[in-house]
Amino acid sequence: MWKKEDAKSHAGSEISTSHGIAASSANAAVSNTSPSRETPASSVATLPRAEACIGQGIRIKGEVTGSGDLFVDGQVEGKLSLTNGSLTIGPNGQVKADVTAGEVIVRGRVEGKVSGRDKVLLGSTGQVHGEVQTDRLAIEDGAMLRGRVEAGKQPGKAEEYAVAAGAAASGTKGGSAVTMSTGTAAD
Amino acid sequence: MAPIPAVGSPRLPEAPGSCTRVSNGLKEFLWNLDGLGRGTLLDLGPAWQTTLTFFIERGFRVSSEDILREWKDFLAEEEKRLQEVAVAGEDVDMTPVGRAERFLAANFRYARSSFDAVLIWDLLDYLEPTLARQTIANLTELLRPGGVVFALFHSKKPEGFQRYRIADSSSLQVISSPALCPAQKVYQNREIQDLFSRFRTMKSFVSRDQLRETLFIK
Repeated sequence: MWKKEDAKSHAGSEISTSHGIAASSANAAVSNTSPSRETPASSVATLPRAEACIGQGIRIKGEVTGSGDLFVDGQVEGKLSLTNGSLTIGPNGQVKADVTAGEVIVRGRVEGKVSGRDKVLLGSTGQVHGEVQTDRLAIEDGAMLRGRVEAGKQPGKAEEYAVAAGAAASGTKGGSAVTMSTGTAAD
Repeated sequence: MAPIPAVGSPRLPEAPGSCTRVSNGLKEFLWNLDGLGRGTLLDLGPAWQTTLTFFIERGFRVSSEDILREWKDFLAEEEKRLQEVAVAGEDVDMTPVGRAERFLAANFRYARSSFDAVLIWDLLDYLEPTLARQTIANLTELLRPGGVVFALFHSKKPEGFQRYRIADSSSLQVISSPALCPAQKVYQNREIQDLFSRFRTMKSFVSRDQLRETLFIK
């Protein structure tokens, strides 16, 4: 288990050792070693905040669950669920999955239902094909949204989430783990 | 002091292809929702930040469904389906009624009496008349008693396609957009009354820009 401070000081290598599947992508996103691949500025800006990263070039089929922050700049198909963390789909991220997190930031492409308990932000490069459900929704100019939106507080919703978060916290030890199950990682 | 623009007269454009117009219909719509507290709103236009924020800040739960874009996508899929059906020799109801029923079965999946207010904008002018009738019938079921609908009708065939979003509590921003569907019908007053015959009140505001703002209360 490692913390946000660790991620800042050790950059990509820490991510690659604790989450092997993110190795190539983390390096690509942070250090931009490949001259042929240009890393967008927003990708670099968002990465240090996330505790785990599915980088560009990584493809996961299956279920990604956890309670920490996650940055996705690769491809995910299946299900993406963080009980109380922040999920950022980077500009290169392509997600075909139902997505759930405390806060969801979309700068890439999502096909599926996006549920942000607190907030969903569609960045200017973000594309969502599917449903968006959240208390607070921010849409930047240029964002594309195709599908149904449900935004605003629902009566009784806070209590429901508190119970769900409590149950999730009791199920995980450190509270900042991202696990990937039934998954197939492929470059 | 700057002169107050007349109803429907566009101000200077703020951005290319957009202008702001005073909307008495919107004022009346909001007046009807005043004091509702935590209401629910269905917006049948595209999801705009300004419109969402406007209602969320007032305690509303907003559902947004760009019905005209859905209809366009649906028609494209129906076209493909028609070709497949012709090849397979199957029998599918391709009449406007059958098509409208299939479209509405795939959309508007909300519980009865789940909304206090609906923003239709000018979409009825662009839907096939059969679909427009069935859409209103469905919306009537989705609205709570006393619920309010805000719709716009063109008095003559519109020259361009426009989208609308809320600028403030008394004005709308009108945004020129690429046409999704051609205008289907120009509704006369009597036809509008027939469409909304299950509503107890109808109030219209006629403006200079050939746009009738109409409010219906269930």
